[in-house]
Amino acid sequence: MELTKNITIGVYLPGKSFVHLLDPRTKIIASGIIVILLLLIRSYPAYGAVLLFLAVAVLIAGIPAGYAFNGFKPMLPVLIFMWIFQLFLYSSPEAKELFSWWIFTATDAGFHMGALVTLRVLFLFGVTTILTLTTSMVSLTDGLESLLSPLKTIGLPTQELVMTMVIALRFVLILAEELDKIVKAQMARGVDFDRGNFIQKTKKVFPVFLPLFISAFKRAEELIIAMEARSYTGGRHRTKMKTLHMGRVDLEAGLIMIAFTAIIIYLILTTVPPI
Amino acid sequence: MPIVVKDLCFSYKQDTPFEKKVLHNISLSIKDGEFVGMIGPTQSGKTTLAQHFNALLAPQSGSVTVNSDLTSDPQVDLVGLRLKVGYVFQNPDYQLFAQTVGEDIAFGPQNQKLGKEAVKERVTAAMDQVGLDFDTFSKRDIYALSGGQKRRAAIAGVLACKPEILILDDVTAGLDPRGREEILTVIRELHQKQKITIIYISNSMDEAAELCERIVVINQGRILLDGPSRDIFKESEKLRSIGLEIPEAISVIEKLQERGFHISSIPLNLEEAIKYIAGAYLDREAKR
Repeated sequence: MELTKNITIGVYLPGKSFVHLLDPRTKIIASGIIVILLLLIRSYPAYGAVLLFLAVAVLIAGIPAGYAFNGFKPMLPVLIFMWIFQLFLYSSPEAKELFSWWIFTATDAGFHMGALVTLRVLFLFGVTTILTLTTSMVSLTDGLESLLSPLKTIGLPTQELVMTMVIALRFVLILAEELDKIVKAQMARGVDFDRGNFIQKTKKVFPVFLPLFISAFKRAEELIIAMEARSYTGGRHRTKMKTLHMGRVDLEAGLIMIAFTAIIIYLILTTVPPI
Repeated sequence: MPIVVKDLCFSYKQDTPFEKKVLHNISLSIKDGEFVGMIGPTQSGKTTLAQHFNALLAPQSGSVTVNSDLTSDPQVDLVGLRLKVGYVFQNPDYQLFAQTVGEDIAFGPQNQKLGKEAVKERVTAAMDQVGLDFDTFSKRDIYALSGGQKRRAAIAGVLACKPEILILDDVTAGLDPRGREEILTVIRELHQKQKITIIYISNSMDEAAELCERIVVINQGRILLDGPSRDIFKESEKLRSIGLEIPEAISVIEKLQERGFHISSIPLNLEEAIKYIAGAYLDREAKR
């Protein structure tokens, strides 16, 4: 039993590929553009184009496909649930009935709506996974901070916000490791997490989440003390040892992104959505 | 309940870019009633190996047999097996979750679906075994306990499941000398009075020398040495080379040998060392 095995959130896979070498700001902006496009897409060919683009990015970055895919596994139940929800509850006037069961009726409109929503979530997750797998925590922080810096003028504490976000991301893995130990400690006392009905399973959550929360709070407190001990005060007076520079690769990536965006917008405008 | 491990290999995050092989072809057997020390530097694979003993981890290749049951066999009742092979984790905070000490210790027996009376009996017995008075401690808040008391409560929580084998994973780490001594006394008594098989994981050679009859030294996922404690400490060079400390009693004797004292036996604790030193001193006086 190994809980941390399939977690890809907050994990950095070091490398020297084109994707790795990009300035973090380029990658964040590109991810942002893709996210916006994903929210606009309503047809399968356009999704196909995004899939192709992301697949090429994964290939170039040298991320093992199986590993990238494993990150989706824990999400599958949620996605399937979401899809079923849409299938039965979404309908439009001209929708055709596929089948009905008890008080629920599945329509083709619901089927497509479910598929589109599920694909959207999958792709959003995919984009962020590629971003975090190819960008180290430090450069992600620097990039975000630099991008958000205009907001400083209106008094937003961007540096603190970014720091908080990055720590949260980092904690995903730490807490998963702790969860692994806690689950094992309770399994050693005869808890069987696989068996039992819903209520019985819910009850088994307490022996796991209580220690996890306590340890999370403890860790947070220790982290605060460790940061204060090194005179961390946050805020705008902090300087950087490494400053960010855009280079040739970023120009190339920018051109690729413009071409990609044009293609997707073209597909959005020309292809007919299924609903 | 003997444990037999054959050609066990294990990697964390197998089939991912972060794959890390931690156990290489481990073969080992532990008989009933043994007191085995599993000693090795941090990250040597001690915990990973021990988690195979109670099927918290399943072997990726090779096999682990506990009481003639293969842990990789889907037919085997793993929950029952885990209760027979108790595992106390290094950090008691991972295990303790209930409000009071009594409730937490009762958690294991309750999972075994025992009746109210039987559970209470188990809790009382387990608390007695670790030296926590039932009347004083059973209603006490978990978070009001000292470090040593917490460890003892955690051990009691596992003992309440009536294990035949007890795995103790670095249970004295971070304790003050008194807390440490309390725990060691509890462990010693468990072995002597209850005849429980004990697997004691630690990176402290002093504790291993004091407690264990047999020591298995693990380094980088391989068994480096395996044998009776006294034989293990003859290999002091090997132990030092992997970054383990030699028990103080033994290093004192070694220094005396370097200075020309003739001491042939290896002491396992301070008393033995004093006896040997006094013997050697008297010998020398007599020769003068």
